[in-house]
Amino acid sequence: MLTSLLARTSGTLICLGLLLVAMVSSLAFGHIPVSLDMLVTSLLDYDSGSLEHLVIRTERFSRTVTAMIVGAGLAIAGVLMQTLTRNPLASPGILGINAGAMFFVVVGATLFSLTSPSELVWAAFTGAATAAFLVYFLGQEAGRGISPVRTVLAGVAVTALFVSFAQGLLILNQDRFESILFWLAGSVSGRELDAIAPLLPGFFLALLIALLLSRQLNLLGLDDEVIRGLGLRVGQVRLLIGLVVIVLAGTSVAMAGLIGFVGLIVPHMARGIFGTDHRWLLPLSAILGATLLLAADTVARLVIPPQEIPVGVMTALLGTPLFLHLARHVRKVS
Amino acid sequence: MLRYVGLFLIATCLAWAPTASTASSPTVVEHALGSTAIHGNPARVVSLYQGATDTAVALGIEPVGVVESWTEKPMYRYLRQDLQEVTYLGLETQPDLERIAWLSPDLIVGARNRHRTIYPLLERIAPTVIPGNVYDFKALLELMAKATGRVARGDELLAQWQARVDDFRARIRRKLGDQWPQEVAILSFRADHARIYYAGFARTVLDELGFAAPADHRKEGWGIKLTSQESIPAMDAEAVFIFMEDDPAVRRTYETWSSHPLWKNLQAVRQADVYHVDPVTWNMGAGIIAANRMLDELYQHYNLEQPDHQECPQC
Repeated sequence: MLTSLLARTSGTLICLGLLLVAMVSSLAFGHIPVSLDMLVTSLLDYDSGSLEHLVIRTERFSRTVTAMIVGAGLAIAGVLMQTLTRNPLASPGILGINAGAMFFVVVGATLFSLTSPSELVWAAFTGAATAAFLVYFLGQEAGRGISPVRTVLAGVAVTALFVSFAQGLLILNQDRFESILFWLAGSVSGRELDAIAPLLPGFFLALLIALLLSRQLNLLGLDDEVIRGLGLRVGQVRLLIGLVVIVLAGTSVAMAGLIGFVGLIVPHMARGIFGTDHRWLLPLSAILGATLLLAADTVARLVIPPQEIPVGVMTALLGTPLFLHLARHVRKVS
Repeated sequence: MLRYVGLFLIATCLAWAPTASTASSPTVVEHALGSTAIHGNPARVVSLYQGATDTAVALGIEPVGVVESWTEKPMYRYLRQDLQEVTYLGLETQPDLERIAWLSPDLIVGARNRHRTIYPLLERIAPTVIPGNVYDFKALLELMAKATGRVARGDELLAQWQARVDDFRARIRRKLGDQWPQEVAILSFRADHARIYYAGFARTVLDELGFAAPADHRKEGWGIKLTSQESIPAMDAEAVFIFMEDDPAVRRTYETWSSHPLWKNLQAVRQADVYHVDPVTWNMGAGIIAANRMLDELYQHYNLEQPDHQECPQC
């Protein structure tokens, strides 16, 4: 773990460097080869007649932006959930948010014949929010606030409920299943920025609130009585964080479908490197989350071209070894 | 589980029920999952996949039970008028076994990949035949003709088909000259992705007609799904056949992909050799009637004259 300010600053710079490398790779690699020169001119001096410029601008730019937003959103939502529930296993996937989004998308696609990306995005977002509210309130213990165990149980129950309903609907409408397969597997490709644009203001507002709440988040690790003694309005802070989580995770799921693992693993990676101070943890989780998803998406399109592996599969493949290495390393140091 | 126990009881009862004794010896039909003895000429046929339904109609049989179609539910329009009294048995992937048993069929036709696991149960209900390859509509026709005792009708259909294939090959060679055999790609669009088909019913028919496939499309497996428009160049060929569902989401995908400059850069698009074809005929029907209808479309697309007496015999 990096403790001194100098070490943390240089760590941050390294992470930013990695993010930059991931961004450039995401823009440069794919079915059609593009040179670095070409990449730079496509951004600075766009020529609509050039095929390479066009591919970068229309295809790779939007998926790069989507991957960064989703990666950062999931990672921060993961940190907030883990702090809020004091549970190291909390993540959007485990707390029912993915299942809620999936159920609503399936209902929208099968019963209401919603088809356009802009409609499905809202269905996913509503589903994510519904599931999160359910879990949040089921996870409350009378008079004591949020109970980590109850929250996880509520998450598992809500997930089971939504997943089984969604599966039932999909079995009855097998042809619809095909049309949302890629959403279910998680994908950042072919996203039109227009469809996701309405979600972005809320997303960035939530991101800002999360960063401003860093100090309060640091206190949430303490006992409720101690926190109250320090003058923090626990209930209100928790509710606010809960809302932020819903917006961040909901937007991410709506944009990219079911991408597991980022929300669980990235917070642990960031904590392993930078410690538990949220003033460092939150921004670094965002950077690492964006980097991981960008890398996963870039590798996903290079493995078996012209096909692509679902990015959700790649995040697990890339994330797990990194996570295990980190876990072992941290244990050795301590 | 209970369902299977119930079914087992029904099947056992049926097996014990006195069977109509036929004087003639049974026809033994060899198929993908073994050999089946069939007595007499089955009249009560149950079809458990689309190709078998199409073939049954071609043979002049109205099945007592069929599975639902994938689109145009409950049955593809081109088969509807020949299937008015039919009982629907649910989806191809999960046919209702109890209802099949109640229909007391005397022949069941299933598909290997779909019904291998329930084959032992089906066999207890009625003699069951399973063709080897679902795309090989001619083998299916021969198998079903033999199993239903309509070999003469089957041979007639095959002879008609062969004559049409010969005619088409002769005419298209004359028309395209040294551009024949033409390399063609089979594409499809879905709500959230595009597809290239390497194999399938349509490819089987095109192969028989003498069309070629681009080198990159001669691969194992049914084909690939594409999510990134960057990979549009992988679709290229001298001509492309596109089939897709009539659905707003699918149409939007097609519009997005086909307005991409990479699409406009495809050889087939530049030469205006892009043919929109019927998804039911090209990808769903999978029987001899669908094959004939496919051939009709090809005659039209290539502006070839069709001899009058040769038009699709069943359409």
